[in-house]
Amino acid sequence: MEKFDVAIVGGGSAGLAALKQLSNLGKQAVLLESGKAIGSKSISGGILYSKKPKHGRAYNVEDVYGQEFVTEAPLERSITKYILHATSNEKVFSIDLSSAHSYQTNFAYSVLMNKLNTWFAKQAGESAEKYGGGIIPGVHVQSIEWNNGATIVETNELERFQVKAIIAADGVNSEIAELTGARQKFVPEELYQGAKVIIKLPEQIMEQRFNISENDGAAHLFSGDIAQRHIGGGFLYTNRDTISLGGVYHYDSLLEKVVEPYELINKLILNPMVREFVKDEVPQKEEIDKTLPKEEQLRIRFAVSKLIRTWQDLRQSYYSTSGTEDLIKSGKYKTREEIVARLDMIRKDLSSKYRTRFITDYVELEYSAKLVPDGKRCRMKKPNHKNVLFVGDAAGRGIFVGPRIEGINVGIDDAVRAANAISRSLDRNNFDYEYLGGFYAHSVDESPYTRDMKQIDKDYLKIFLNATKDIPKDIIGSRYSMIFKLMSSETFRGLAVGFANILGYDRLLPILESEETYSKVPIELAEKLGKRLTSDYRPSIPSIAERVSKLKYDDDTVSHIKVNKPTSEFMKKMVLLCPTKCYSIEDNQVVLQHEGCIECGTCAPETQWRHPRGEKGISYQYG
Amino acid sequence: MESSRLKISVIIKLEPDFSEGNVSYNSDGTLNRAETKSILGPHSAVASMAALHAKVMHGADVSVGTMGPPIAEQALQQSQLLCDADELHLYSDRIFAGADTLATAEVLRTGIDKMHDGEKSDIVFSGHRASDGETGQTGPQTAWKLGYPFFGNVIDFSVDVENRLARVTRLVPIQGLYDVIEEIEAPLPIFITIHPSYKPTFTTVSQRLSFFKCQKEARDRAALYKNYLKTFTAQTLGVDPKLVGLPGSPTIVYRVEKIPRAKTSRMAEIIEGSNQDQIRAVAKKITDMIKVKEI
Repeated sequence: MEKFDVAIVGGGSAGLAALKQLSNLGKQAVLLESGKAIGSKSISGGILYSKKPKHGRAYNVEDVYGQEFVTEAPLERSITKYILHATSNEKVFSIDLSSAHSYQTNFAYSVLMNKLNTWFAKQAGESAEKYGGGIIPGVHVQSIEWNNGATIVETNELERFQVKAIIAADGVNSEIAELTGARQKFVPEELYQGAKVIIKLPEQIMEQRFNISENDGAAHLFSGDIAQRHIGGGFLYTNRDTISLGGVYHYDSLLEKVVEPYELINKLILNPMVREFVKDEVPQKEEIDKTLPKEEQLRIRFAVSKLIRTWQDLRQSYYSTSGTEDLIKSGKYKTREEIVARLDMIRKDLSSKYRTRFITDYVELEYSAKLVPDGKRCRMKKPNHKNVLFVGDAAGRGIFVGPRIEGINVGIDDAVRAANAISRSLDRNNFDYEYLGGFYAHSVDESPYTRDMKQIDKDYLKIFLNATKDIPKDIIGSRYSMIFKLMSSETFRGLAVGFANILGYDRLLPILESEETYSKVPIELAEKLGKRLTSDYRPSIPSIAERVSKLKYDDDTVSHIKVNKPTSEFMKKMVLLCPTKCYSIEDNQVVLQHEGCIECGTCAPETQWRHPRGEKGISYQYG
Repeated sequence: MESSRLKISVIIKLEPDFSEGNVSYNSDGTLNRAETKSILGPHSAVASMAALHAKVMHGADVSVGTMGPPIAEQALQQSQLLCDADELHLYSDRIFAGADTLATAEVLRTGIDKMHDGEKSDIVFSGHRASDGETGQTGPQTAWKLGYPFFGNVIDFSVDVENRLARVTRLVPIQGLYDVIEEIEAPLPIFITIHPSYKPTFTTVSQRLSFFKCQKEARDRAALYKNYLKTFTAQTLGVDPKLVGLPGSPTIVYRVEKIPRAKTSRMAEIIEGSNQDQIRAVAKKITDMIKVKEI
């Protein structure tokens, strides 16, 4: 049997950071990823933070990959604006939270996980190779066995092999956690469900519309009627030439008032502010004359598609500084004016020859969904089991505090701590529970992120309150006015936060995270203080079938999910809550069609849920 | 020990790209060679993959050779991308033109003798057949000229490097019956033509790691393939002009017959409408068709 020092299960940003850090320390590690390629199954909101906490140390992405991360990694935009909007019908009231966003922050970039993880994998893979390790995609870990002191990894694809320690970075639906019995499956109270669409928008149009400079970006958060009385809200992040738009909602609030995840996105898109944010000029094909000969119809169909594609690509380049430069460098065009002339010509061709219309609409590229662990509720108190260390989503670690949403950086911090702990064990050849796991658990406990999952940070609260100080307190409701008064006073804030922290998050959360906070108060704010916005086009929102049809799958012949009880109330709710409508009801029984599954794990609480075998299932293009 | 390292040679061919959208025909139905792009033949690609398999499993040295016009170096590059070749040979000379399989085999045989610094190859791989010629003769004839035992239709192989033994699994088609699988052990050197169904598998962590490493190296090398390329003329190769090109080709093409174009039995129809309607219409078409068939 082959032997390796460390196995890392899962090639997301946490697993890759663990591999890179172990290689930085000169240790051998093998990373196994079930997707066809690294990044194909990773999605996030997403913003990647680098933090500088006042107390304790956070291990940041640049600590792992070096300073060149900022200059070389495929980052989208540096998020410098962070704005919260309260919505009610056509009214929107906005609060600038940029100061809260930049609190203890070195940088924050919007990212697309597929691109970013591919870059991470290149760095980590090359480093790991030097020590006899590396990355193996297309391999799904099936079980872990402990036999006479040996730890044996079994996969669907490869021969069994032996390791000294394991890092489980297999995400929120961690199979390693379940297989080893390290923790129970997460329950809806501990989770959020996030769904997102990627929307196309040319670079310079984006910069103008969001009032941002060439490399900067904006984040917009939404609460109020768009939440449809759920706990959570919407988000919009600007990428380089795309927008990430979605919603994150507490899973138990979705179970209580069942709604399709894409309907929540649709509601957000229909908000006049969002509608204006995402709009673009979109060519609309005219029906082809059916009386024409079949061959002629085909010819027209292809000609139109080709012209539209050319127009879109050229326009995309035209609205990007680097794109225009590249076009001129390639010698195809001499000046910007030439590009404009060509664009006009294609446009004229399309409208005169083929009666193509150019309308105001928006363009969706990719739909995705995932579960997000609420670290306040579900972080593993002991993120270790025997010689297995859990990191990131697998350990239930994500930060959701009001408008503060962080996950990728938390996973990276965990990964560094896990790698450091294993490196220390390798040096001493000591993998005892306390020496390895105990050390790691202690290190994680000391992480500033863990503190943020446990208690309120009064300095953050102060900044947040400052940003909202102009809001008349009577709107915020009798429930909060007392808290606000206390918190607004310098002397009382320390006492109040201290008292709140003694009470603990457990008791505070039902007050802080309620329909009142996420829906009622914002609606009232918008109604009373909001500006009325208008948008005079109607976005043609794709159906869920159209959204799913754009996704790339390699379907397995057997289902990776088995329904436990097809008649349970929970499973019946899956018919609506599954983001890709994999469930339907036949004869009062819930029936699964696994082919459209995007592996979010929403149905996991009452199913036997596995990731698909190696290379199978969804492959995201953006993530 | 360096001398015990396996020496693998592959012979490949640049062929017209017969994939949809790339192939172009003259009005008389013959292939329009000028308009049709040429690529590494699909069977040559499979042979290249077999060489990579040997490289991953045993750390072999791989050389690839082809006879053809200067443009055939593209096929060598594409093959290098697949098999991480250490050496590329192009045998290109006007006097090679008009060669039949035997004359081609003579050039290839001479070329293979020059591979690996003149050391003998342990295994030579070739494709099943070329997609343009379809004779399937060049491989066996080269084997015969080299004096190597020949194995055709090989779907799997393994090598015991220490004892210099190869074990090959091959399909033996028996007319009117299913293919029979035959497993043969033979001392090296041997000549193998790879069956198109061959798919290399890597089942251990080390093999996968080594496979990815080779793939990465192959990408780097193929980007600079000219650094690995040696071009030979008839003279530098040292072949007997009487044995190559037209003079070396005993084959006489008596007549070429066009394959009659099959009657079109497929009719494409585009169904318009919203998703639900489209699916309903397609489903109806299919059920109607099944009904017709049943009658």
